[in-house]
Amino acid sequence: MDVRAQLVMVFNLDKCIGCHACSISCKNIWTDRRGAEYMWWNNVESKPGVGYPKGWEDQGTYKGGWVAGGNRLRLRALGKVPTLLNLFFQPNLPKLTDYYEPFDFDYGNLYGAGDADDQPVAGAFSQISGRKIESIQGGPNWDDDLSGSRLYAANDVNLEDRGIVEDYGRMFLQYLPRICNHCLHPACVASCPSRAIYKRGEDGIVLVDQNVCKGWRFCTTACPYKKVYFNWDSGKAEKCIFCFPRTETGQCNACAHSCVGRIRYVGVLLYDTERVEQALLEPDDRLVEAHRAVILDPRDPAVREAARKNGVSAQWLDAAVNSPAYALVKEFGLALPLHPEFRTFPMAYYIPSLSPVLSVEGESHELMEHGLFPEVDSMRAPLSYLASLLSGGNRDVVAAALARLIALRVFTRAKNLDQPVPGGVLERAGLDEAAAVRLYRLLTIGGYGERNVIPAQQREEQDPHVRKGAGGFGILKKAGRRK
Amino acid sequence: MLNVFIFVVLPYAALALLLFVTPYRYFSNRLVWSAYSTQFLEQKALFWGSIPWHYGILPVLAAHLVSVILPGPMKAILGNPRALILLEDIGQGLGLLALFGCLALLLRRLRTPMLKAVTSAADLALLALLLVEVATGVYMGIFIRGGPLWYLYTAVPYFHSLLAFNPQVEYVADFPMVFKVHAAGAFLFVAVLPFTKLVHLLYLPVGFLKDPPILYRWRTSKTGE
Repeated sequence: MDVRAQLVMVFNLDKCIGCHACSISCKNIWTDRRGAEYMWWNNVESKPGVGYPKGWEDQGTYKGGWVAGGNRLRLRALGKVPTLLNLFFQPNLPKLTDYYEPFDFDYGNLYGAGDADDQPVAGAFSQISGRKIESIQGGPNWDDDLSGSRLYAANDVNLEDRGIVEDYGRMFLQYLPRICNHCLHPACVASCPSRAIYKRGEDGIVLVDQNVCKGWRFCTTACPYKKVYFNWDSGKAEKCIFCFPRTETGQCNACAHSCVGRIRYVGVLLYDTERVEQALLEPDDRLVEAHRAVILDPRDPAVREAARKNGVSAQWLDAAVNSPAYALVKEFGLALPLHPEFRTFPMAYYIPSLSPVLSVEGESHELMEHGLFPEVDSMRAPLSYLASLLSGGNRDVVAAALARLIALRVFTRAKNLDQPVPGGVLERAGLDEAAAVRLYRLLTIGGYGERNVIPAQQREEQDPHVRKGAGGFGILKKAGRRK
Repeated sequence: MLNVFIFVVLPYAALALLLFVTPYRYFSNRLVWSAYSTQFLEQKALFWGSIPWHYGILPVLAAHLVSVILPGPMKAILGNPRALILLEDIGQGLGLLALFGCLALLLRRLRTPMLKAVTSAADLALLALLLVEVATGVYMGIFIRGGPLWYLYTAVPYFHSLLAFNPQVEYVADFPMVFKVHAAGAFLFVAVLPFTKLVHLLYLPVGFLKDPPILYRWRTSKTGE
C-alpha cells in the first residue's frame, strides 16, 4: 500500500446556475495576459452542448486519454517512439479555431469616430492578429444556454437521441463547470517528451514547469479534457494550477471561492498509488466502482499508518477525515468522475443533476405529494445521458446517486413540514437519519469551513532551525559551502 | 582577405559565440527556450513546410558532420563509385526536400495574416539564411559533381585544421563563390544559433523513453524528510 493524498474538487451540478463567476475570477487571476487570451482554465459548459474546445469529448477526433489494451494502458494518441518521429509536426494538435479566436472591442471608436449619419460602433478585433473581425465565429461558451442547438447541442456525443434538441417538451439543460481534473494517471504527464509536466507528490496537483517545457504540444492532445493549453506567445504549455498559492495556505481555489451557488467542495482524498493502474484496466462500466476502491478510508488505522510513513502529516490526515470529498465521493457515492472511460482517473467529481425531476408536465409535484420515487426513466435529463457523461455508461451508479438525492428531498421535506417521514425511504436509498441530516447540511447550508477542508502545506515544518531567521530573505535554494 | 574572413575569423567567432552564449542563455532564462511552434495558429501550410524541411535537412546535416568526425570510414565507403553515386543522389533528394520545405515555411510566414503577431524580423532573417544555405548546397550538388568526395578531401581537412587551431585556408580557398557563400552561411548559422529560437535543435528529448509514465515531484523527500 503506497498511500498518497490528493486535493479534490467536487461539483454539485444541481446547484450550478451557469453564471460563469468561476470562469471570470480564474481569468482575472491567471489568464488575462498575452498568449493566454483564449485560455479558460475554468469554464462552464451548457449541456447538452459541444463545449470548449468544440467537441472535446470526441476522442476519435482529439485522441486524448488512455486506452486499455490487454494488461496495460497506452496513450490513445502517440507512444514514445512515434512521439519522437512526430516532433516536427504534431498530427493531432487542436487548432485555435477549435477553441475560438480571442477578440476584444474597439471602444476607442465610440469616442474618436468622425461625424457620420450613423452611430459609431465598437467593432471586434482579433487579440492575436489585431485585425478587424467582421463576424465573430466563436467564443468560450458560444452555445451557452442551448443557443444554436441544431449546430451544437445536437452534436453532443453523450446524446442517445439527437432529436431531443428540437423537442421542447423533452429538452433539458444543465451546466457543467470544468477545471483541470488533476488526474491520478494523467495522460498529459505521460506524453511530455521533456518531462516538464509533473504531479506534486504532496497534494497531487499537476503542474507544467515553464523552465523545462519546450513547447512540443503533445500534452495538449493527450489530455482528453483539453485542459492543457498552448500559449501562442511564450511557446509553452499552460494549465490550471488548482490555485496552489491559495490552497497551500489553506484557502480554497478562486473558482470555488467566487461560486455564488456554492456548488463546489474542496477536500482531501487518500488513495493507493499501487492500485491506480490496475483499476484503470477495468471495462468502461466498472470504472466508477474501481475508482472508489482505490480511494481509501482515512479512519482505517492501517491506511493512516501507511500514509504517515509516506509523509502525510497529521493535519492532512485530519483533513482527510473531515473531507467533504470523501463523504460525497466514497461514503455516499453521490459524486461521479467526469468521463472515467478516458482512463486518466480524474480527481474532479460531479454530483449528477436531479432537477427537473419529471419530464411530463403536470406530474412534477407528484413526487412531493406522494413521497414516491420517480422511475429513473422518467427524469427529464435521460439517464443514458448522465451515464455517458459521468460513469462510463453505467446507469446503475448514476441511478443510485439520484435515488439518494431524491430520498434526501423526501426526508427533508417531511422534516420541514413536521410530517412523518415515509417509511423505508432512506433505507431503500442506503441512508439512515444521521447520514441524511449530515448530507442535507453539506449539500445546502454547509459553511465555508465545511465545504472547503484544505490543510495548509506545513512548510514551516521542514526544518525550523534552518528556516529560522531566513523567512522572506530570498534564499530559495540550498545556501552555504559544500563540504 | 575575403578568404581569411570567411574561413578563419567567421568560424572562430561563431564557435566562441556558440560555446559561451548558449550556456549563458540556458542558465539565465530558460523561459525563452522553446521552438516557438506556430502550429496552433496555422496547420495546413506548416505540414508541407515543417516535415519536408526537418526530414530533409537533418540527414544532410548529419552527413556533413559524420565526414568530419569519421573521415577514415567515409573514405572507405566513398571509394566505391556506386556508393558515392547512391549517397550523392540521396543527399541531393534530401536537399531538394529541405529546399521545398524551407520555401514553404518562408511563404507561410509571409502570407498568413494570423502569423504576423508571432513573426519577428529574426524569424524571417533566419528562414532567408536557411534558404540561401540550402539553395547554394543544392546548386553545388548539381553543378559540382562528386560532392561527398570532394567535401571529404577539402572541407574536412580544413575543419580538422580549424579544430587544431592551425587554420589552413588553402584547402578551400580556390572554390567558387557559391561554396564560400555556403560556408559563410553555415558559420553565420552557428553564430546566431544561441541568440535565436534555433536553440531548440540543441535539445533532443530522449530521457523520457526510459521513464515510467507518471512523473512525481516531491517538495521534501517522500518519507517526509
